Amino acid sequence: MPEQTYTVSDFQAVCNQILDNAFAGVIIEGEVASFKINQGKFVFFDLKDESSSIGCFMMQFALRFPIEDGMRIRVKATPKITTWGKFSLTIQAIVPVGEGSLKKSFELLKKKLHTEGLFDPAKKRPLPTDLAKIGVISSTQAAGYADFCKILNERWGGLEVQVAHTQVQGISAADQIIRALKYFNEHSEVQIIAIIRGGGSADDLAVFNDEQLVRAIAASKVPIITGIGHEIDESLSDLAADLIASTPSNAAQMLTKDKRAEISNLYSELQRTARLLDDKLSAIIRDNRREIDATSRALITKVTTFEDSVKSYIQIVEQLNPEKVLERGYALISGKIAIGSIIQVITSSKQIQAEVKNVTTK
Amino acid sequence: MSQPNNINKKLDELKIKIEWFYSDDFDLSKATKEYKNTIDLAKEIEKDLTSMKNEIKVLAEDFN
Repeated sequence: MPEQTYTVSDFQAVCNQILDNAFAGVIIEGEVASFKINQGKFVFFDLKDESSSIGCFMMQFALRFPIEDGMRIRVKATPKITTWGKFSLTIQAIVPVGEGSLKKSFELLKKKLHTEGLFDPAKKRPLPTDLAKIGVISSTQAAGYADFCKILNERWGGLEVQVAHTQVQGISAADQIIRALKYFNEHSEVQIIAIIRGGGSADDLAVFNDEQLVRAIAASKVPIITGIGHEIDESLSDLAADLIASTPSNAAQMLTKDKRAEISNLYSELQRTARLLDDKLSAIIRDNRREIDATSRALITKVTTFEDSVKSYIQIVEQLNPEKVLERGYALISGKIAIGSIIQVITSSKQIQAEVKNVTTK
Repeated sequence: MSQPNNINKKLDELKIKIEWFYSDDFDLSKATKEYKNTIDLAKEIEKDLTSMKNEIKVLAEDFN
């Protein structure tokens, strides 16, 4: 059997085919060395550990986190033998790994995006009023998503919630979340998008510091609320969002009113109104009673005055009574006043007949 | 089942009804009837709030 003979190019192509079949999308972790960007678009660096080093190549637009020499990173790559016979990795994605690298990358990107105005408070939009349709981006298997749904259902009802199931950690998560954002912006009528992810390590949450994801959040036409990690976690996605909730549960609280509190407030208001009504009725009764009392007093005064007048008249009339005159010693005389005639004399107690003896003129 | 917008409308309506009792338009002759209407609306809102459920739908789209 004749031994197969390859040309150099064919052998290189076969080796690359084998490498591609065996290791396409391989994940490798190491430290960055000799990092450089050529012509503003070609990124070269070495990925190394204590004993080995591999050359890496990628396009600048695929670089989603700021990288510096000495940073520990995890790459998704395809190994390749170049036409010059050099073994290298063609990088598809990078994430920083480890507290120091994550922090350094975070600070570098935060400064860059802040300068561009992506976190400008003036651009933040408020929670929509009359919220009825919510878009959620989360992993439906995540505990944070379950917490979000639980609190949402406990607090309010009647909401239409559309959920885009994506990874929320790992090297592919940022792209999936970006695609979900695009979907909600272009193909749905949700009024707000909630990006939900429970607590995790700094490595787990690193996806939310992905530059393209942060830019997609800042550019979203639909307002965005983030509920990522715990209270102490801060991501660049949070800073770019319109509203930040400290946890997934807190996001559900911010999006909804509490129906139990609403019902309680409702009845407090009614009780207050009932008291008000009672006060108003009492005031009206009090006012009417005062009016009745005043009218009554005026009437009594008028009656008393009238009684006094009547009494005066009675006294005057009584003084004119002839009997009263007779009682004062006067007498009433009737008959012809001529000598020898008989006249009638009436006193208060007697009637007398008398003869006229003499008549003189006064 | 009432939708959130309907609930919010009913809550707004209830607020207006309650404000009437505090306003210059208050009329004693209408107060009893208005208060009964307000109570009825509050009970309706409570019933709606208690019975409303959220519709949570996971999209079929693959974002991978």
